[in-house]
Amino acid sequence: MTHATKAIYKLLLSDFVKISKVSVDDMLYDEHDIARTMEKIEVIDFHQTMEVNGIRFWCYTAGHVLGAAMFMVDIAGMRVLYTGDYSCEEDRHLRAAEMPHFSPDVCIIESTYGVQIHQPRIMRERRFTDTVAQTVSQGGKVLIPAFALGRAQELLLILDEYWGAHPELQHIPIYYASPLAKKCMAVYQTYINAMNERIQKQFEVSNPFDFKHIQPLKNIDEFDDIGPAVVMASPGGLQSGLSRQLFDIWCQDKKNSCVIPGYVVEGTLAKAIMNEPKEVTLLSGLVVPLNMRVHYISFSAHADFTQTSAFLHELRPPNIILVHGEANEMGRLKAKLITQFADQNVKVLSPKNCQTVEMFFKGEKIAKAVGRLAEKPAKEGDVVSGLLVRKGFTYQLMAPDDLHSFTQLSTGSVMQRQSVPYKGTFTVLRHRLQQMYEQVEAVAKADSPTLKVHGNLMVSHEGADYVILQWVSDPISDMVADSVVAMILKLDLQSMFGGGERVKDARLEKDEIRIVHSLLVSLFGDVTLDEEIQTLTVNVDETVAIVDHAKKGIECKDENLKERIKVALRRIQTALYPLDA
Amino acid sequence: MGTSVQVTPLSGAHSEAPLCYLLQVDGFRFLLDCGWTDSFDLALLEPLKGVAPTIDAVLLSYPDTMHLGAYTYAFAKLGLQATMYCTLPVHHMGQMYMYDHVLSRKAVSNFDLFTLDDVDTAFANSIQLKYQQHYQLAGKGEGMTITPYAAGHLLGGTIWKITKDTEEIIYAVDFNHRKERHLNKTVLENFVRPAVLITDAYNALNNQPQRKQRDQEFIDMILKVLRADGNVLLPVETAGRVLELILHLESNWAHQRLSYPVALLTNVSYSTVEFAKSLLEWMSDTIARSFGSSRENSFLLKYLKLCHDRKEFDELPSGPKVVFASMASLESGFARELFVEWATDSRNLVLFTERGQMGTLAKKLQAEPPPKIVKVTMSQKIPLTGEELQAYEEEQRLKIAAEQEVIPMEEDGHSSPKVKAVTGPLPLSVAEPGGGAPMNVEGLLATSEAPLHRQILIDGFTASDKTAAPMFPLYENPSDWDEYGEVINPDDYVVKEQELMDYQSSQPAPPAADGEENTDPEAEAILADRPSKVVVKDYTVQVKCALYYMDFEGRSDGRSIKNILAHVAPIKLVLVHGSAEATEHLRQHCVKNVCRDVYAPRIGETQDVTSDLCAYKVRLTERLMSSVLFRKLGDYEVAWVDGVIGSQEGSQESEGMLPLLPSETPPPHKSVFVGDLRLADFKQLLATKGIQAEFAGGVLRCGDAFAVRKSGGSQQLVIEGPLSEEYYKLRDLLYSQFYML
Repeated sequence: MTHATKAIYKLLLSDFVKISKVSVDDMLYDEHDIARTMEKIEVIDFHQTMEVNGIRFWCYTAGHVLGAAMFMVDIAGMRVLYTGDYSCEEDRHLRAAEMPHFSPDVCIIESTYGVQIHQPRIMRERRFTDTVAQTVSQGGKVLIPAFALGRAQELLLILDEYWGAHPELQHIPIYYASPLAKKCMAVYQTYINAMNERIQKQFEVSNPFDFKHIQPLKNIDEFDDIGPAVVMASPGGLQSGLSRQLFDIWCQDKKNSCVIPGYVVEGTLAKAIMNEPKEVTLLSGLVVPLNMRVHYISFSAHADFTQTSAFLHELRPPNIILVHGEANEMGRLKAKLITQFADQNVKVLSPKNCQTVEMFFKGEKIAKAVGRLAEKPAKEGDVVSGLLVRKGFTYQLMAPDDLHSFTQLSTGSVMQRQSVPYKGTFTVLRHRLQQMYEQVEAVAKADSPTLKVHGNLMVSHEGADYVILQWVSDPISDMVADSVVAMILKLDLQSMFGGGERVKDARLEKDEIRIVHSLLVSLFGDVTLDEEIQTLTVNVDETVAIVDHAKKGIECKDENLKERIKVALRRIQTALYPLDA
Repeated sequence: MGTSVQVTPLSGAHSEAPLCYLLQVDGFRFLLDCGWTDSFDLALLEPLKGVAPTIDAVLLSYPDTMHLGAYTYAFAKLGLQATMYCTLPVHHMGQMYMYDHVLSRKAVSNFDLFTLDDVDTAFANSIQLKYQQHYQLAGKGEGMTITPYAAGHLLGGTIWKITKDTEEIIYAVDFNHRKERHLNKTVLENFVRPAVLITDAYNALNNQPQRKQRDQEFIDMILKVLRADGNVLLPVETAGRVLELILHLESNWAHQRLSYPVALLTNVSYSTVEFAKSLLEWMSDTIARSFGSSRENSFLLKYLKLCHDRKEFDELPSGPKVVFASMASLESGFARELFVEWATDSRNLVLFTERGQMGTLAKKLQAEPPPKIVKVTMSQKIPLTGEELQAYEEEQRLKIAAEQEVIPMEEDGHSSPKVKAVTGPLPLSVAEPGGGAPMNVEGLLATSEAPLHRQILIDGFTASDKTAAPMFPLYENPSDWDEYGEVINPDDYVVKEQELMDYQSSQPAPPAADGEENTDPEAEAILADRPSKVVVKDYTVQVKCALYYMDFEGRSDGRSIKNILAHVAPIKLVLVHGSAEATEHLRQHCVKNVCRDVYAPRIGETQDVTSDLCAYKVRLTERLMSSVLFRKLGDYEVAWVDGVIGSQEGSQESEGMLPLLPSETPPPHKSVFVGDLRLADFKQLLATKGIQAEFAGGVLRCGDAFAVRKSGGSQQLVIEGPLSEEYYKLRDLLYSQFYML
């Protein structure tokens, strides 16, 4: 919200808390809650652009009341304007609602006044001042029940200026009676910059909200009810409080007037007296005749149909969503707008409460190619490969090396140096590597013999009993390195047991005889294992063959069987040690 | 493809002279600041003279003399026509500065470089922006956006960002990274890698004490002097840092319940404070909050007395007091007067809160050791009396008579239109001889010595309207007729708003007139231009009072500047404003630690800082995007794409924007590790995974045999160790800190 709104927000809610403390038991919230919300509020100045998660928004002056703003929200180029309450008419202290420079895709607009048309401001002001002047010059008193903030200040400005221009009235006091009066004025005296040129011009001379002819009035006890006077008092509905107390005192005198300056809520006394009933009930319960004259002059600053229509005509949004307005009035406005924009393909919607409006927009995603990737201007058919970086709703396309230049990100790399035990000679290793890999080059390096495998992996024999593998990580190199490591390990083991000697896995060795046993069982059926002496006895149709596992010897009378067992053992051998073949 | 960018310093390069730079972006000429010194030395403006008429836009960053002092003069006399852009407070406070200058000069001399009217006209030709308002330039600057950002230092202080296409140029001088009583800190740190950053080296060699300590010392020192029955003079700028000092003093006065009078003595003190009150939106969060919660405007000052002239000031209760007086340079204004009066008393203290401008009295006094004796030239304007007055009046009469003779002659000889042309400028030419142009003609007529003559003269010529037509005038009434009769103009029959607003139209005028009298009563006196003469006297002032300087300038100090620059990391950096040593020092530092392209152009030297970056835009097609998988990394999301640039067809809307289609045969690419791992963070991670790790000589030792280190200067991490299961575990953890693409 804007700075002024925040200040007013605090005032209003605190006042509400004070009032509800007296009368209501179940309070909606208290001062503490307000203080907590205050911390949450982020202020935004008009036109200041904020960005949250890539969504940008800013606000325009909305007229209506001090600090009122229309928000424009930009989500990846799709723009929504929310007018809130707005008024296109410049008044004494506020600017008229601003016209955004471009057309939003969606405009959410208030429809409070629907198709009604206001009387020109000048006429209203004239009626107001005439009424007031007439009443006081006949010795009557004028009561203006108004809400303490917002339109009240506008009326005070009118009165102060009118009094300034009419010296003959200056002996008649004007009171601004509200417990909030002083604080409200402090807000208005401060946020001059949110007001219109006229006020700012005056401010260069003196603060126009330092009224010359208006005095604040805290409560009725301070009020000296003698002779004509003008009192602006809150609340606006005459429910209770100062305005009601004064009304009760003054309502029977026909010299007096009551000016209702704007919208009043149904069910309040103010609404009731607008129909000028013969009698009214006082707070004390007495029923008395209503002799006081009642005038209704609306100063409420909402756009009327003329303004809404002109505003939308200039703005040209393709989608209009009507909100805030009495259903019938909104319906009439909708119908009228549809006729107005009949030939322009404009959608007008008026959703009910809690009804979601869904619209789909095809966002155009534009990426900016920068840096090395964009050295040559783009032309059809070019291949573009690189990093696509998204921040909020902006895309950048760049070469990995430029990542650091254009973003806060950086690319890193991991160099790995792994030492692998190897006791064999480097020549053997080289021989095996050359057999296995396509690219193996010797690198001239002073201290140790080094090979380069697959263009990236360096294998160097730095110590007597280990080699160093060094490479810059990437998935392919990691794989190559792993296979090289496996090969070195095997070579190393082989070299330990001398040349071609089969290298036995310890675990396998232990289990070998059992595996051989079970395999023989599946082939010959009756095979017994004697683990003690490491022999297997094969019994086939009473012919017995004894296999000495350690010595690989077979004792058998039947040559045929012996041959079969020999073949079986050889196959088992290849199955167990496939690489030895 | 790229945007051409050139910077030319016009003043304030390799020196602490006022700031004024020319920035050209694709031929569009920005004037960045337009400063002058308090001594208004015309020689300083030489480089600006030739350039002024060609400027397309003026961007002002602070309201003080060093940043906008010459703007008024350039606008009035040097043919500067361009629109000026500034923030609202710079506009208001800048005017205060200039008013104060004119008024304090006029009080003592025939100051004629510019007038109050010139200030008004110059500042009227401006557009006021809000922070973070993206303002799109039109016309010649089409496609360019200027955006002000909060800079700290002074109220409304601005960092300017100029954006064109892909280029971001940032002009940030005198920013403050610290939050203060009345101002928020600068947002400069939020910018990342702008194409060009123009900044100053003014404070590159300065270091500041702790703020708390300094604040305490400040109050202690003032109180010590007051308690010893001395006066404290704080020479300050009209509407700049003084706001911060006032708040500081106010809070201490309230806290310690002090009763020593405090005064703000400038020609515009009332307006300054009044503007400050209405500019809360621009101040720090603390101030906004205190107003929000308790409705207490921090600038509703309880202790400070606002004085506009010596009379008001002298009416203050006698005894020790604290006075804020303008100008900080002691070159003119009340500060200079008070200095001359108070310097001779050893009980008094002159406390400087900012460094004096070059060659000013303030600078002399701040030297180490402070001078014992200074020569001060004081001038005074005294009304003419006796013979002198008579002589002056005689002279005036002759002048007027001469003019009168000229005009009737012309009137005789020429036709009426010509006469009108002569009568037009007449009122002004009459007003002139008073010496220095007055504020307005009415003021002059109302108060001058010989109003009758002039009144009659002007009446005579306004009446000459009658002579416009040498014969009895006949006006033809050209009325149009059509088949329905005379064509009528409906406007003629509309009830005029004017008539309805009768009481209003009469209303605004009187307060305006009152106001001028209220706010500038002394202006009236000075500007009424009673015949007067200027008397210049040289004083030799024995400086017995204590002199002290405390840094309340509210600028970032050297170390923070370096940190901020390293963080912002511009691609090209231009250094301006700062003594030659400071500039060189910062340049060398930046070349080493910030970026390669650091420039420090001299006055009049045009430095090309066009970026060698190339860029183009492509449209990302739906087809491409559907196959792209983004990975989130802080604020960014990153993905690898392989694309082919498609043809223009079918996309008439986005002109010149080629679509990017997915590539059928993606070429293989080297995998990229994205991320920036700090070893300290990695150590923490290892600790959570139960792996012992500690640093030893920049190397992170993990477990028994493994080491992770950064290899010399580059971003490359090295992991070392023997082949083992742990090695792979460690490697997996390391990989998990990067995104592999």
